[in-house]
Amino acid sequence: MPELLQATASILSPGTLLFVFAGVLVGLVFGVIPGLGGTTALALLLPLTYGMEVMHALAMAGGIMGAIAMGGSISAILLNAPGTAPSAATCLDGHPLAKQGRAADAIGAVASASPLGGLFGVITLLLVLPIARDIVLLFGPPEFFLVAVFGIVTVAISSSANLLRGLVAGGVGLMLSFVGYDTVHGGVRYTFGSDYLWDGIPLIPALVGLFGMAEMIRLSIEGGAVAADAGTVRLDGVWSGMRATLRHWKVVIRGSITGTLIGAIPGVGGTVATFIAYSTTKKADPDPESFGTGRIEGIIAPESANNAKDSGALLPTLAFGIPGSAEMAVFLGILMLHGMQPGPAIFADHEPEIYGLIVALTLSAVLASIIGITFVRWLAAITLVKGQILAPVVIAVSLVGVYAINLTPGDVVLAAVIGVLGYLMLRFDYPRLPLVIALILGETAERGFQQSMMIGQGNLGIFVHSVTSIVLVVLILLSLSWSFVPLLRRRLAASISGETS
Amino acid sequence: MNWIRTIRPTVFAALFFLIACSAETGYPSKDITVVIPFNSGGAFDAYVRALVPGLEKHLPNSINVLPKNLPGAGGRRGASDIFRARADGYTIGIFNMPGVLIPQLQNMPIGYELSEVTWLATLGYDTYVFVVKGDSPLGSIEDLKGLGRSVTYGATGPGSTSYVATNIVNETLGIPFEIITGYKGSAGYLLGLIRGDFDAAMINYSTARSYLESGDIKALAVFGADSNDPNIADAEDLGAPELGQLRVMRMMGGPPGLPDDIKTMLERALLAAMDDADFKSWLASTGNEAHPASAAETTATVLEMTEFYDRFKQLLD
Repeated sequence: MPELLQATASILSPGTLLFVFAGVLVGLVFGVIPGLGGTTALALLLPLTYGMEVMHALAMAGGIMGAIAMGGSISAILLNAPGTAPSAATCLDGHPLAKQGRAADAIGAVASASPLGGLFGVITLLLVLPIARDIVLLFGPPEFFLVAVFGIVTVAISSSANLLRGLVAGGVGLMLSFVGYDTVHGGVRYTFGSDYLWDGIPLIPALVGLFGMAEMIRLSIEGGAVAADAGTVRLDGVWSGMRATLRHWKVVIRGSITGTLIGAIPGVGGTVATFIAYSTTKKADPDPESFGTGRIEGIIAPESANNAKDSGALLPTLAFGIPGSAEMAVFLGILMLHGMQPGPAIFADHEPEIYGLIVALTLSAVLASIIGITFVRWLAAITLVKGQILAPVVIAVSLVGVYAINLTPGDVVLAAVIGVLGYLMLRFDYPRLPLVIALILGETAERGFQQSMMIGQGNLGIFVHSVTSIVLVVLILLSLSWSFVPLLRRRLAASISGETS
Repeated sequence: MNWIRTIRPTVFAALFFLIACSAETGYPSKDITVVIPFNSGGAFDAYVRALVPGLEKHLPNSINVLPKNLPGAGGRRGASDIFRARADGYTIGIFNMPGVLIPQLQNMPIGYELSEVTWLATLGYDTYVFVVKGDSPLGSIEDLKGLGRSVTYGATGPGSTSYVATNIVNETLGIPFEIITGYKGSAGYLLGLIRGDFDAAMINYSTARSYLESGDIKALAVFGADSNDPNIADAEDLGAPELGQLRVMRMMGGPPGLPDDIKTMLERALLAAMDDADFKSWLASTGNEAHPASAAETTATVLEMTEFYDRFKQLLD
């Protein structure tokens, strides 16, 4: 791979390296602030790249994209307020760890799992680049529908501890996802005449509300600081967190594969990838019930998926100009501004640039981790700050972030309303995960189903029409039956013991 | 502190002079906002951002021109934002035609009336290509008519430009058809076509170009431009010259009642910016094309387009 070496050399040249580093810093800051994220950072970068060299622009964009995950997960762990949407899964076990005073362990796990995931994703990307087109073409409307169903099923069964509440939350999420303009039949639904809701419930404000706002409302009501007991806060846990990642290398690989695969499917994206990585790890664990109380694997899995997903998302973006995620949509703009038209010729015409971007992505994940580890001591101290001081600051910064996305006051109102809903869910112990997944996947599922019905002229056979769709159907059936295995085993054990006694 | 006392009159005089100057030079005395009713990263966005440096250069008083993305409601939010702005020349924007025209003709609740917009210039247009899959046995529009079944098409949502264009072409040419809606953007249904979800599509040339060159898709007809290729029909060849009006246009406009002197200044600056060497080299490097037209021509085109789409009103949704 002489091109790859050449690209590495050109990225490592001092000038270009500076742009990667600048990107990493911007990415970390935008990642940490809830509401702001890769999409906003890249959107602000886009006009600045106008006068830049292509390689510099890509180096900086790669720097941002690689570092966002680290920043987003830091706020997820410390504040239970994910800085970016895909980091939401890291809250589930990361924040309980912070409460136990082990924020440093959690950040250490992130700092090791995310570059490893990133590396895995990049290697996969390099391997499959030549067949990127074919991979993207495997997914049509029937497959999109099945992927969405698979995602919803995975999450539904992983909340088996309180299945009914999980279903209620999922149902609310589906209802929210159907708000707005129906792109298949053209009707406008559940908007109550509001122009704002025409585009549906926007994901990022909803997530900021559901996690960040809800957590801050809880903190203000209950008082105290994030860490329950100041005496227990350990600042030296970074290394044990990093060692944990290496010990759980299987979790890293599973998370990375999930991230790369799901990241490559447009409209499903990073948030679903991290949640599915979390759910499958929980499901595969001998003690799934202990997840959510601060299991380090519950951080490693979504974090490795979080950085691997970017490589996956690059496939449809480069091969067909179809962004795999919201970030990629803006990144696409940067490519086009520099005359790189995504499509059949991009790999042939712009090979050095693409390799440069890949190297920048990898480098930036590593740099971001180093910076994260360096500051872990000060970051972990946030868990000692009193709620009366922390909550107003986080709420104000999050709402500014939410407003900055589209300069829409409606987004701020929505984040606040969903924040109250999120708090009520916390208070009455409803899982928020099914709501998020259903909110994201509801539209994909509905659109996929309706389009499949039109293409197949009403024949359900279209869902087993291709190898991909058959594989997906089998996966769905397997994960459904998997959830009954423990139940059956218990029944069996009960009946055997019943017979012997 | 004697020296302060000495220079004080000079400072006052200088300040007074500055204030007098700025009052006299008039428009533009502050930054101008250009509203882009789409997310950053799209074709409209790239076009405006590439044009901005030239626009700053050709406007007096070295003010800044600031692009502002206001996505939402399929471009209607941005359009109504431009329409409702104060008519002082500090807020102008780009309009996607007929994207914002169709909801107006459908009598949807929109915050603008396109016939009242102060049109400044046209930046360019995109033609529609009638495409099928590259290895499709279908070689002409006649082949499609002879299929003996409804031809299936892919498009974005009902009421979108691609959906309306597909309706108008097939109704006019008398082809029985069905549209599979719900694809995300032109890249979305282009991919659907290559994958084989449906038979054919109406797609804007800038998206289709590289796939036409690679042979993934092939063109049967083109609308909005004359065809030089004997294998590709144009509106005239198909005996339906009115279909030549099917174009997607990028037009610049401001709120109603923009004073004439400001309008002329903006029009001149826009046209000069499009003639700028930097902008032209950007066009060349990205494969974009500019088709500049004056304010008067743009106003006339808007009227023509309104009449054209009004004739097909029953096909809009």
